Amino acid sequence: MLDIQNLHARIEGKDILQGIDLRIGAGEVHAIMGPNGSGKSTLSKLLAGHEDYTITDGTVSFDGADLLELNPEERAAKGIFLGFQYPVEIPGVSNMVFLKAALNAQRKIRGEKELDAADFLAWVKHRVKQMQMNPAMLSRGVNEGFSGGEKKRNEILQMLVLEPKLMVLDETDSGLDIDALKIVADGINLMRSKERSVLLVTHYQRLLDYVKPDYVHVLAGGRIVKSGGPELALELEEKGYGWIQQAA
Amino acid sequence: MLDLSPFRRAFEALPAAAQTGERRKALDAFLTAGFPSTDLEEWKYTNLAALASLPEAALQPEAELASATGHGDALDALNAAFAGGVTELRIPSKTRREEPIRPSDRAHQRHRLYLERGSEATMILNSSGDGVFETIFADIELEAGAQLHLIRLNDAGADSHRITRINLRLSRDACCDVVTVDLGGRLSRHDLNVDLAEPGAAIHLHGLYAPTGDGHVDNHTRIEHRAPHCISREQYRGIARDKARGVFNGMIRVHKDAQKTDSEQRIANLILSPGAEINAKPELEIYADDVKCAHGATFGQLDDEALFYLRSRGLPESTARALLTWTFAHEVLQHIRLEDVRGRVTKRLLRQLPNTEQLEALQ
Repeated sequence: MLDIQNLHARIEGKDILQGIDLRIGAGEVHAIMGPNGSGKSTLSKLLAGHEDYTITDGTVSFDGADLLELNPEERAAKGIFLGFQYPVEIPGVSNMVFLKAALNAQRKIRGEKELDAADFLAWVKHRVKQMQMNPAMLSRGVNEGFSGGEKKRNEILQMLVLEPKLMVLDETDSGLDIDALKIVADGINLMRSKERSVLLVTHYQRLLDYVKPDYVHVLAGGRIVKSGGPELALELEEKGYGWIQQAA
Repeated sequence: MLDLSPFRRAFEALPAAAQTGERRKALDAFLTAGFPSTDLEEWKYTNLAALASLPEAALQPEAELASATGHGDALDALNAAFAGGVTELRIPSKTRREEPIRPSDRAHQRHRLYLERGSEATMILNSSGDGVFETIFADIELEAGAQLHLIRLNDAGADSHRITRINLRLSRDACCDVVTVDLGGRLSRHDLNVDLAEPGAAIHLHGLYAPTGDGHVDNHTRIEHRAPHCISREQYRGIARDKARGVFNGMIRVHKDAQKTDSEQRIANLILSPGAEINAKPELEIYADDVKCAHGATFGQLDDEALFYLRSRGLPESTARALLTWTFAHEVLQHIRLEDVRGRVTKRLLRQLPNTEQLEALQ
């Protein structure tokens, strides 16, 4: 599904990614772990089409298409979803209006029929219930006055409504208490299927207790320095990142 | 010397009965004084000379007479002459007028509104008609404890020229909440003068100016804190695109006796095109020593992170830009308490922005 080869990227003259190779097959869950400043967030944002980064080398293909040629909205319509580390507040625009506009914009790009108000309402309410959120939130402004945890939960709600193929979740677990973490994990698990893939970007092993990854990678200094199975996450939790950076 | 004869000729084309001595005196006062010169600080950015080249037929003085009225400066005199007198309304003491006051859409309007003690009302001054040249002048007085929600709306077409002036005087514990909106138009100048004359009076001003094309919108506000314990809150937001120009000047004067004044002024501006320009200036004069006065002004573009967030969800860039622009405006528009008016302004604003079909449900 996703094939990243030798990806190099820089921002403001600083090289952040220095040769990433990563393949994610359909139905797989990958976790990327690593210390602060290793390039985790850069990789996430870059996959969603953030324009501040300059790609200096390498390729990224998604479902056979050259991802780097597409703008953010085209990537979204193709099925890439980024769960933001710091979701943005959009005061005055209700979650309902925003989600309907987003879903229909994606459907339009894909050449599908737009959903009418009644069908959309039924769909979004179903998803709100699954996320154990109060339906009243739909008429509140997007992330307006939301706590950190509510914002993260809202990211997952958006993901459930938009049904992407590749879910890139950038530290979605940070700032969550254990109950919220479980709800967020349940939301992610709900979306797991043979056709969908997940890229979890995280600091901590905690989330991986609830969302079992197939592969774990360690990112350090802009490169993947080690890859393994779920047991690697436990090892990192125990020993920290120092030994890997030294070994690399 | 500017040739103002089109104004004289337009007036003299009125039926003889409409050309009262009172109106003629006002007209003469205007013709003698002429339009304010751009040498004056108050008129530095706005040149009304363009009004003198409007065709006589566009000036449209009112043929129908209202109550006789005196006049002040040149522009006030022009309005007095063209409006044909003043329309007076009084809200009786301790009554609440449910139905908003919506004056008919005459091209030239002159109002005098009294809210007696403890009364409540809502008024909409609308200069959104088809006329090329329209003027609205209003004198509004709130007696003790009276409350007014005032909406001033100008969403007239690209050829429109508008001069409006609102004078508000608030007595003890009176409270007035004003929303003023300028969307589009060739030339609009709006003066809003507020007199906080007695202790405990409170004024809330919310303004949006969004000139487009080669339009020019100038808002001047003046808040006089004359008595202690008065409150003023002022929030103005400007959005300029194309080659448009926005001007905002917000004077707040705290007089010597106005101790315990609580005043806040916030100005924010969005400049959406390289050719657009906004001149916004706060002006504070403080003569009392125990006061709280906060103010701030920002100028900027749309937030890149917010744009990326919206696009990452599938919204086309132009729609994402429109949505963030609307959000910026919404901070002002949300204070319009009449749903139909708020809806109309939202629709009009969205119509000015590209690719907003997905955003129709916004209010």
